[in-house]
Amino acid sequence: MADLPAVVSGGWAPVAAGLLGALAVAAALLDGALAGRAAGVRSGMGQPAGEVARLLRQRRRTTVAADRLLWRIGGAGLLGMALMIVTVVPLGRWTLFDLGVGVVWVNALDVLAWAFVWLTGWGANSAYALVGGYRFLAHGLAYELPLMFALVAPAVAASSLRVGEVAAAQQGLWFVVWMPVAFVVYCLGVVAIAVWGPFSPALGRDVAGGVTAELSGVDRLLFLAGRYALLAAGAAFAVPMFLGGGAGPLLPAWAWVLVKAAVLLAGLVWLRRRVPALRPDVFMEVGWLVLLPAVLLQDLLVAVVVIGG
Amino acid sequence: MGVSGALARLALRHAHLLVIEVPGYWLTRVAVERLAGVRGWRLAVSPADADILAVCGSPGPELALVVARLWEQLPGPRARIDVAAPDLVAAALDQAEAMLRDTPRQRRDSTARDGQGLDDAPGGDIALAHGSEDRDGLEMDVLQVRLGPVLPDWPAGLVLRAHLHGDLIVEAQAGVVDAGQGGPAGGGHVVGGDTSGDIRQVDAGEVAARRCDNAARLLALAGWPDAAGGARAIRDRLLTGDRSAAITELARLRRRVRRSWLLRWSLRRVGPLPPDELARLGLAPDLTGDVWDRLNGMLDRAVFVTGGPAGVAAGGPAGAGVGGPTGFDVGGSVTPPAAVASVVSGWDVATARLIVASLDIAALDVVTDG
Amino acid sequence: MVTHLVFWGLAVVAVLAGVAVFVVNSMARASYSLALSFIAVGLQLLLLQQLYVGVLVILMMVMEMAIMAVYMNMFMGMNPAMMSMNMVHGARHALPVSVGVFLLLAAGALFAPWPSRRGSPPADVTAALGMELMGPKMLAMAGVGVVMAATIVSGVVLAAHRTRYDRFGDDLRRPRPADPQPGGVGR
Repeated sequence: MADLPAVVSGGWAPVAAGLLGALAVAAALLDGALAGRAAGVRSGMGQPAGEVARLLRQRRRTTVAADRLLWRIGGAGLLGMALMIVTVVPLGRWTLFDLGVGVVWVNALDVLAWAFVWLTGWGANSAYALVGGYRFLAHGLAYELPLMFALVAPAVAASSLRVGEVAAAQQGLWFVVWMPVAFVVYCLGVVAIAVWGPFSPALGRDVAGGVTAELSGVDRLLFLAGRYALLAAGAAFAVPMFLGGGAGPLLPAWAWVLVKAAVLLAGLVWLRRRVPALRPDVFMEVGWLVLLPAVLLQDLLVAVVVIGG
Repeated sequence: MGVSGALARLALRHAHLLVIEVPGYWLTRVAVERLAGVRGWRLAVSPADADILAVCGSPGPELALVVARLWEQLPGPRARIDVAAPDLVAAALDQAEAMLRDTPRQRRDSTARDGQGLDDAPGGDIALAHGSEDRDGLEMDVLQVRLGPVLPDWPAGLVLRAHLHGDLIVEAQAGVVDAGQGGPAGGGHVVGGDTSGDIRQVDAGEVAARRCDNAARLLALAGWPDAAGGARAIRDRLLTGDRSAAITELARLRRRVRRSWLLRWSLRRVGPLPPDELARLGLAPDLTGDVWDRLNGMLDRAVFVTGGPAGVAAGGPAGAGVGGPTGFDVGGSVTPPAAVASVVSGWDVATARLIVASLDIAALDVVTDG
Repeated sequence: MVTHLVFWGLAVVAVLAGVAVFVVNSMARASYSLALSFIAVGLQLLLLQQLYVGVLVILMMVMEMAIMAVYMNMFMGMNPAMMSMNMVHGARHALPVSVGVFLLLAAGALFAPWPSRRGSPPADVTAALGMELMGPKMLAMAGVGVVMAATIVSGVVLAAHRTRYDRFGDDLRRPRPADPQPGGVGR
């Protein structure tokens, strides 16, 4: 078994946050470029910067009889979630927080999306925003259990809930190779908690932006940044779980972690351009009747291999 | 000034506009969307998301009230422009940009708004919702929500008073905003100021553009922004005279849509309308099938029209009065609002929006069902 | 020292958030106050080195409160504009009783002669706790889990208004169910 990552002091936390921010910005740039190319405008890459400038210049607003406290907590919460997730992702030989149950920690954090997205929809006291919030929960009911069982597979294979040990258990063969179903379901889960692409009906045009219908200025900026950060954090967490951690030729381990995370992130961003929305009313059955059995079979297979091997 | 000036310049290159189409000003709305896109601006989905409120046409009293309310909801910096005709769009957008750039003016606007509006909450006067049984026999609260007249990808002027159980539309009444003002709503350009009121023959490019616009709306609602953007680009090409490129791209889009099994999976069996039901509701017979069929039908009609001779007046799969004798009609019959209300009942808001978009509405009959 | 301060700080948060459940005036706030209270308890468990249990408390409780808030709001027909809900009923009797019970339990916790530690915690506390709780009964516990899940599903099926006869016809021969809205796997 390879070396386990060493815990670095909390003083490095801003660096981790900065790396997450860099990945999120890269995702936003790529999304802007892809959207710009599709729309035939040149300003694609500049779009994130322009959007940030626009939202910083814009006034915050509120609505009649809003539950402002919960609304603001929900809007800012996604960003906090993403930051907490990357604390347990080892960057090659270093980690900020070597939690014995890191996998469950990430699982607990991804469930917070249920609270934050719904609260953002609820707080505005607006019918469209609330419909958006409920849509997210409907998606949640369909993706959350498959996602949980998808996280079980690497943990069972590594016989550990420690993220560093899961990464170290993939010397030679990455988990993505022999547990592809779990990997795909995990990626769907990440896309879902980021309310991204196919899982964006909660922010749908049909309900005037859904959860974000009433957000403006810095509140909208925080919510949107939170989505990109969650996408980035989810991609980063996939690296130790499925993509062999820092393993790779030539480059140092930390660089491989970043490269793998960036590639997966680019794939998730690109997905948005290719596929239409998976509405909760049709995705619900897929989640329960296709994804859940498939990922349970995957877990069974992994368990049999681990016990038999 | 340096930082805030730079911020303003950057922000202005990415302004979002909320476009409101007064029934009859379709060409103006399309021109606004096209020229805003050229500037790198985007379409807002809600007033909170918008910097610019672009009113296309001159609203009647009812819509004017709605516009005023929406204007109050723009967070600011904000600009309102009223555009009466397609050739005035470029100047109006310049004007909006100048208004947004004028920081002192925006400051004054912002100060003037402080402490007014919003917090005049109705206090404890909000009535309890009354309940009724939902389709699973559970007692549910009924929420009254007005869908329209201003919603993204929504037929101009349509207002749907929906009774919601959660997000399920139990029943709905449809109307057209400012129905009492005369003239068919949402019709071609001839009712409003896009031309000088002449009833002119609608050319094939415009008919096809209209189909592409409606297809773009449906694709956008289905959550596929790229395909929707493609359909909009084709629409703009058809209208600006770039016919041959548009026809190639249209064929490509049609193939792309047909090949997307995910889209097909999502739209199949949603909102099925058999022929007898269509006849009963007074809808065009080529709307048979589900939302998926109707989306393909729209693209097929666009292809057919562009392939046919200019100024098609009759026949073909498009049928139903393409450029028919009534003159105001741009390639689809006049849709009775009551039919819209009838086909969305029993569906949730997301599917109902898809069904409404799939009806390929060009014009709404002003006779309301109350 | 810092750990002690954090622990007591979390204890105060947990209790105050628990009190807030009965003070706030909306179901959403009550649900999430309770969630906050449980998160504070979960973090305390983390400080006690019960990592798995601590994280699990946070996971379960946030999810549960998210669902509870939804159901409560749905059935009580609430929106943020109607913040006049009251979680306390029969306050005159309930308040003294609950304060009394809290004091009793707190006194028990404070004054009980806790045994002093013998030996040292095992290397893997999570595994040790699992063995201690489940031990040889692991298979039975896993079985109970499945039975509970099956019970929930059957409960929902029995409670559902529409039966399979409504969906598949009286002879159950209909190839596709007559559902108000189609599902996602072509049924």
